[in-house]
Amino acid sequence: MPPASMQISAKRALASKEATLFKELLTLYETRQLKKGLKTADSILKKFPEHGETLCMKGLLLTHMGRREEGIDLVKKGMRFDLTSHICWHVFGLIQKGEKNYEEALKSYTQALRFDKENLNILRDSAHLQTQLRLFEALVETRHTLLRLRPNLRQNWVALAVAYHLNGEVDEARKVLERYESILKGVPDYDVEHSELLLYHVSLLEEVGEFSEALNLLDTNAKARVIIDRTAIMERRASLLTKVGNVGEAEDAWNALIQQNSDCRDYYKGYLSIKGVDLGAMSEEARQETVRILRTFSEQLPKATVPRRLSLEYSKGDEFRELAEPYLFSGLSKGIPSLFVDLKDLYRDQDKQRTIEEIVEGYNQLYTPEDEASSSSSPSEPPTTYLWSLYFLAQHYLHIRRYSRALSLLDLAISHTPTLPELYTCKARVLKRSGDIYGAARSLNDARLLDLQDRFLNTKCAKYRLRAGLSDEAQEIFGLFTKKDASNPASDLEDMQSLMFLTEDGDSHNRSGRLAMALKRYVGVQKAFNEFEDDQYDFHGYSLRKFTINIYMNLVSWEDRARLNPAYVHAAIEAARIFVRVHDDPALKNHQGSSGQLTDAEKKAKKKAKKAAQKVQEDQKKAANSANEDKGLEAPAPKDDDPDGTKLLASSDGLETAAKLLQPLVNLELPSVRLWVTIYDVAVRRKRYLQAVKALLHVSALDPGDPELHVRLVDIRKFWPTLLQSPPAPIGPTASEVLEELIPSSTNLETYNAQYLQRGGSSASVVLAAAKASRILGSPEDEISSTVFNLLNPDVDLSIEVSVEALAYLTAIKSPRADEFRSRLDSRFELSTAFKPSSEFETYRKQATGSSLNMEDGEKAPQ
Amino acid sequence: MSMNIRPIKVDDLLGMQACNLQNLPENYTMRYYLYHALTWPSLSYVAEDPKGRIVGYILAKMEEDVGADDQPHGHVTSISVLRSYRRLGLAKKLMVQSQEAMATIYRAAYVSLHVRRSNRAALSLYRDTLGFTVKDIEKKYYADGEDAYAMKLSLTP
Repeated sequence: MPPASMQISAKRALASKEATLFKELLTLYETRQLKKGLKTADSILKKFPEHGETLCMKGLLLTHMGRREEGIDLVKKGMRFDLTSHICWHVFGLIQKGEKNYEEALKSYTQALRFDKENLNILRDSAHLQTQLRLFEALVETRHTLLRLRPNLRQNWVALAVAYHLNGEVDEARKVLERYESILKGVPDYDVEHSELLLYHVSLLEEVGEFSEALNLLDTNAKARVIIDRTAIMERRASLLTKVGNVGEAEDAWNALIQQNSDCRDYYKGYLSIKGVDLGAMSEEARQETVRILRTFSEQLPKATVPRRLSLEYSKGDEFRELAEPYLFSGLSKGIPSLFVDLKDLYRDQDKQRTIEEIVEGYNQLYTPEDEASSSSSPSEPPTTYLWSLYFLAQHYLHIRRYSRALSLLDLAISHTPTLPELYTCKARVLKRSGDIYGAARSLNDARLLDLQDRFLNTKCAKYRLRAGLSDEAQEIFGLFTKKDASNPASDLEDMQSLMFLTEDGDSHNRSGRLAMALKRYVGVQKAFNEFEDDQYDFHGYSLRKFTINIYMNLVSWEDRARLNPAYVHAAIEAARIFVRVHDDPALKNHQGSSGQLTDAEKKAKKKAKKAAQKVQEDQKKAANSANEDKGLEAPAPKDDDPDGTKLLASSDGLETAAKLLQPLVNLELPSVRLWVTIYDVAVRRKRYLQAVKALLHVSALDPGDPELHVRLVDIRKFWPTLLQSPPAPIGPTASEVLEELIPSSTNLETYNAQYLQRGGSSASVVLAAAKASRILGSPEDEISSTVFNLLNPDVDLSIEVSVEALAYLTAIKSPRADEFRSRLDSRFELSTAFKPSSEFETYRKQATGSSLNMEDGEKAPQ
Repeated sequence: MSMNIRPIKVDDLLGMQACNLQNLPENYTMRYYLYHALTWPSLSYVAEDPKGRIVGYILAKMEEDVGADDQPHGHVTSISVLRSYRRLGLAKKLMVQSQEAMATIYRAAYVSLHVRRSNRAALSLYRDTLGFTVKDIEKKYYADGEDAYAMKLSLTP
């Protein structure tokens, strides 16, 4: 029997004229002469209207020209006429790939290969899809085929090595590279690509522990100037020499790196490690030696800050003071804003904290101007040293939570120099920490007004407004720097994948109870990460052509971990929690939060968005009717038919969406209490009881005393017997066993809760959790309220965050004492606005967008 | 004061993007960062604080379309240091490392960059601190219609 590709079905046969035209059609497509191609396709179809391959090609051309729907319909029609054509399957695969439906695309390519086993294009595309889908075994096979078909193409060798490497067969990868290098001829001098490839080979050897061999390969090729990336050579060399234990040469290698880039911490660590100094557990002798080495580097490299900073880490007592003094003095006199941030890690050591405080307080007094008239108290030192010492001390007192002291220092500094934005950003931070979110926003607005060209201050100001729940007012500020042609500032920031904006805006809506918009933003974060995942696709081919394999391997492994990024984790958890809340209380679906009505700014934004959308549609129409222009195969982003998230919030399968958001983090087993508690919350409502109790097992392993865990254990233990009986999801014995392990069925829950409170009663979260648990156990409201009131006992360490949560809880359970609780918190947290009566909020909000600067006065003529 | 300066990894790109969005008006999607990293992996550098947060970066490339009468040269796509980490000389340190790599790996003769005419702070950084000179004005270089100064710095001694 002839191979499938040879069996030309009756329907595929063309007359000779049309057969020639069809070949032309393929060439026209390859060269993207879309209009001509379309004409050619039409003339074939005139004679052979049921020719599947031509129909598919025509569909493909139309899709490229932006007539997507029509095109896809034609492709599907063509498929029906000819299911054994590799061209039809290939076209279909291309369309699916354009829709980022990688699984289905790969299936189509596999079909296509059945009918044309050695088609290079199809094989190459399949390899890319297999990489994207992490089907490495299949990838090795595809790469093998490609190499067999085209052994003279350099990249095919490298591609096979990479496939083996990805599949964990490092030895095979090595063999391929060795064979390739041995047959390679005529590499020009200074060939960056070959240099990159050899560096990859070196890394591969290092990865499998063949250090000497790696070192040989590196040295030989570096000497012959075949590897030309000097920094990479030096870094690999130092690392390999260290690993083979060649102390002398390793020392030189690290030293050479330090001379070349004296600001790279890793190089010093490398140098110290070769000196036998284990930076983890250090003997007194080793500690002294470390400081000595670092001091030598500091003398040698007067401009390098890293050795100076590191020596502060390892020195003690008088020596620490001796080293800290010049470090601090230099930072203060140069007016380095990050000086405190740089040093605050040292505060883990109480002695060092005290020494730093003493030194800076000393400078502060020394350089304090004696009085307004004579600023010449210390003629050698400019007045800015005094100013920056105030700035440093303010941050110091903020760090140790002496907010009033920090504020009075900042006021002093501001009266000294009213035009330094940093003083206002710092004041904003102090106010924020002490709970005055409105004052914080106002202070950052002051900072912004002092340097309107600076986007950093602009972004911070907008962020602080979001923290204060001022969403519209924040948009106005963001809009000063976002693209003017964007339909609104938010959409530009979303297009630019600003995770900070999406997170902060989402949180702001969430706190204000605008759950739909909050979800919208959180899902925006997810969308950005989906884009990051798609972004790698093109590099599966590109990097092999460029031979930049080391960084490509880094890309592949980063992609696998990308969603561990805090922005994704946060968005997934918060979105899931919203879906859980809405599941428990469907009335929330209709609730728009505190400002149900659209504000003027929102109305304006909506109008503008509508106009922009219309314009896009018109442009698309225009484009579709004209041009030969190639729009590519990527499906355009679908029109956003849910701009404010209300449809998403109201969807009936919210819990499924939540589970999908969390799934990547389940797979990555991220050790986060809040995550696993949320996974439980979703799973238990989806009646996945085994998954639910296993999630609690995760929490328990991370922190057996966690307050959120406690509440859930009490809850599920109490209701387990009911769950056991309730069809249609019978609970397997395993789930019961896991739960038994967490909390035995014989437990007396009241006692369990009482003991929990007794054990951890000085922790505010524990007290609140015990109150919640006692409600689950059916305690009367007054008892629950009085447990919550225990938070106010002087021996409980109460934060603003837990207080806010507790107040919300009392309000939720309709405790008559909620307002009493609020007013007691109000006097407890003097500076905070969180517990002011709601009638005052309007005033605060107005103040928050104002300014305390006296700018107009400043511009008036001097008196 | 002591920020770590080192060559980039893919893990840094999100941090660079965040730093760029917070600081500068010219922003890019992740793809563009990836394109730089995977084409010229040794030309871009980051400055990170002790916690590993990216506080400054240089995103650089080699010019791909070099005219017949031109020499191979590097181009700084974007360089930025967070306001709160200024006065540490980070921009200069980042630039020096990148230029060194351009010269040794790709034998770049010079490095070029663009700056908005209105951005006086950046102009002074490039001219006074980093030694660039203005070679040309490119009319309406930016999407919003603003002109750019095209600046250059020779890398041959």
